Amino acid sequence: MIRNSFFKKTFLLILSVIFGLFIHKYNTFAANAQLHIELTPPLSCGNSIKEEGEQCDGADLDGQTCVSRGFTGGTLSCNANCTFNTNSCTSGDGGVARGGGGGGVLPPETKVILQGKAYPSSRVTILKDGKVTATIIADAQANFNLGISDITAGIWTFGVWAEDKEGRKSLTFSFTTNIISGVTTTISGIFLPPTIDLSETFLQRGETLNILGQSAPKSEISIIVNSPKIITKKTIAENDGTWFYSFDTTPLEDGSHLSWAKAISPEGLSSTFSQALSFNIGKEITGLIKESDMNDDNKVNLIDFSILLYNWGIPKNPNADLNGDGKVDLVDFSIMLYRWTG
Amino acid sequence: MKSYNLKYKIPYLLISVFISLFLVFNFCQAAILYLEPSVGSYYRGEIFIVETRIDVENECINTVEANLSFSPDILETIDFSQGNSILTLWVKSPTVEQKSGSISFIGGIPGGYCGKLSGEPGENNLLGKIIFKIKEIDEEKQTGVNFVEGSRVLLNDGFGTPAKVTTKGAIFTILTEKIGLPKDEWQKELEKDNVPPELFEIEIHQEPSIFDGKYFISFSTTDKQTGIDYYEIKEGKGDWKKVSSPYLLEDQSLQGKILVKAVDKAGNERIAEYSPLRKPFPYLMLLATIVALVIIGWIIRKLKIKK
Repeated sequence: MIRNSFFKKTFLLILSVIFGLFIHKYNTFAANAQLHIELTPPLSCGNSIKEEGEQCDGADLDGQTCVSRGFTGGTLSCNANCTFNTNSCTSGDGGVARGGGGGGVLPPETKVILQGKAYPSSRVTILKDGKVTATIIADAQANFNLGISDITAGIWTFGVWAEDKEGRKSLTFSFTTNIISGVTTTISGIFLPPTIDLSETFLQRGETLNILGQSAPKSEISIIVNSPKIITKKTIAENDGTWFYSFDTTPLEDGSHLSWAKAISPEGLSSTFSQALSFNIGKEITGLIKESDMNDDNKVNLIDFSILLYNWGIPKNPNADLNGDGKVDLVDFSIMLYRWTG
Repeated sequence: MKSYNLKYKIPYLLISVFISLFLVFNFCQAAILYLEPSVGSYYRGEIFIVETRIDVENECINTVEANLSFSPDILETIDFSQGNSILTLWVKSPTVEQKSGSISFIGGIPGGYCGKLSGEPGENNLLGKIIFKIKEIDEEKQTGVNFVEGSRVLLNDGFGTPAKVTTKGAIFTILTEKIGLPKDEWQKELEKDNVPPELFEIEIHQEPSIFDGKYFISFSTTDKQTGIDYYEIKEGKGDWKKVSSPYLLEDQSLQGKILVKAVDKAGNERIAEYSPLRKPFPYLMLLATIVALVIIGWIIRKLKIKK
């Protein structure tokens, strides 16, 4: 049994560093592991071999004819996007399937579809390379489904964040993908981290700390408090997605502590961790990371980046020094990018 | 008084530290900065492209500072393309020092970059493209392009924690025998690019802590083909001039139209416009004035009648 407090504290400090890295690592694995990407048509389209996800490919019509497609006759062919072209099929009255012969085919569209879960009836904001491109309201089950058509082919980083019913913002969930010309890229399995809030930021040991937020309805919420002993508690979100936990601070030592939350939806989707909120037992908090919203417009975007750049080096505005180390440098830039809302 | 039983404490601590360090190094897999191609053979006069890429190895990162070196007597860096880069905010635009043979840039990804999605075809980890030209040399040589000290990557963890970084450079063999016209990979890309930069907006702001509280504009866009070359601004009837963001407006009255043009390496342009708000026609004020004049006229008429 460890009696010496120095060794105990050193051991616990090492544990907390490892736990912090574990949180980051888990977030990394969870971020990509459950996202599913589907291309329509699949990239194999155009090799003259009908494959999964294609109706046909070149001359390979998979044995289908106009008659098998429900027409009376004519010539069935295949579009460039591996879907059937029935323009030359005849219907009962002898006319061609589509008015105005010639069988003109629209060029395939370049499109992205994002599907996932946020919070019930929440406003979901979609970022494209850091800029707001669309907002959508999730349904009562927290589901959202958005198509983006006005997009150039190329590598894009998409970000998704939502605002819960109390106006709390989630962390931005980001992923990068290569959008291919003429292909619809569907990305599903997005599950935003829960929002999190604390009833107090400074308490005495033994007092109750209420930890709350919102997620998808009936999600299992794991609340983690790093004391630096790791304490995990669980609760279930209500039908409206709100969750609440009364945390007994008796086991915590004096000093600073961090808390996170993550969710598992009833469908089995696992979210990344929420932002970390800090609170103190026994003494006031010092050395907090400052908010990245430097102009207090409730956004972290290009304007805040402009203020950061202007204050690069020795800051004229101390608010630009986000980590309080006396200078504005890459670390402050990285902290700002983490909290980006567009 | 506490007693120190070092016989038990030191081994316990050492074991804890050893296990912790073992786990830390396993968790902290390195981000790898590398070049593609990593090997190649080129002839005198040829222009070829070397891509700078990053393998984040299941980490999420949001900031990259890259410093590279090359042999200035063998290679000439004629351009750097940010086209299709995952870095969309640039703290320091790519800078080339030909005499010393160095290239550097600093950029970031808002919200972070976590690598390729499962099932996604192709790569999505491009940082930028260096366009090299082989100088006129007399003998076959080998030359390297390498990342140098100072290159770093920061994690997207809210604390700016540096990732462990390893780098892989490239070695090229320069051949002297010329066969026909030298190849120019970059010219082919420039000729293919007929797509302008992405749509963007001009944001006008005023902050007490920046530019002494005067009006300034911020702007940023990307180009998914050859990359942004430069921006220009035209205030009111003024001339076009090259600028970078943030930019202190010369016309602080905000009465003139502001145009910002983004031009890519192939010369394609996209213009964003800010038009001053027209003051709404003061219908209410006009009506009130007319009513007041009618009332005054009526009062004057009444007074004249009384007299």
